[in-house]
Amino acid sequence: MTKKTKSILNESKDIQIAIDLIKLGARLQLLEMETSLSRDRLISLYKELRGESPPKGMLPFSSDWFLTWQPNIHTSLFLSVYKQLKLNSDISEISAIIKAYKLYLEQFPPEFGEEPVLSLTRAWTLNRFMKCDMLTTAVCKSCAGEFISRPLMKRNYVCGLCDVPSRAGKTQKFIDATNAARQAAA
Amino acid sequence: MGTDVLLAEIKDANLRYLLLTQQMIRDDVDTAMFRLGISKKIADLISGLSTAQTIKLASSPSMLMRFRFDDATILGMLTHDTKDLFQAQAHAAILLAAQPAVEMH
Repeated sequence: MTKKTKSILNESKDIQIAIDLIKLGARLQLLEMETSLSRDRLISLYKELRGESPPKGMLPFSSDWFLTWQPNIHTSLFLSVYKQLKLNSDISEISAIIKAYKLYLEQFPPEFGEEPVLSLTRAWTLNRFMKCDMLTTAVCKSCAGEFISRPLMKRNYVCGLCDVPSRAGKTQKFIDATNAARQAAA
Repeated sequence: MGTDVLLAEIKDANLRYLLLTQQMIRDDVDTAMFRLGISKKIADLISGLSTAQTIKLASSPSMLMRFRFDDATILGMLTHDTKDLFQAQAHAAILLAAQPAVEMH
């Protein structure tokens, strides 16, 4: 009897977690691994919340992405928040990911109509890359901040914000916007 | 500003800080601890205060909250104009997020 009650409670917790994850844009594979709900129930929950079927296809799996300039800054912030939450609060990994991701979005809100740089699914895969030592963190010798890096990059590390590469952030969109502003001023 | 007015302003700021903190802790204690930079023990203590205790604590002539940018590096990043705003804010946020929470001694 107690066992049954407990499992209903767990199920309601799982549903709440799944709702949070779906609202934040999680992929189906992530939902399946982080909850004990069946695939069919997750799909119908997804449709109910987002009004469309979950996207198909593989998860993003490149660990190199985390080392490029802008993603590295975004992801390093997420990781610092996540670590701080795990350190001070007695919460599960997945709750810490959800809360850290919400705090990350507050710091770096996506521009209107755009996707956030770091998606929830990527934030979650980061955790897996770190667990199997494909990625680690290095302390910047200039600002003492902690940034995501390759295990072999740890020595004499200088972060992308202390030593900003000259082309950093200069996407085509940025260049277009700058040119447009110049023309408007002329 | 006369001293009386100054003290009244400080008490007002203290009370608003405590009430906001209690609200944040009630909403989501984990997120509140992160935003405030405080430990679980301090969060429990603040949220456990009665109304009378809260008012008593707020009526101190000293500010109850501490300035969190006590690191010259972080403060410099936010105030120097050498970087663009996004980079400065991102850098400060990363360093601030890694600061240890304030513990009770």
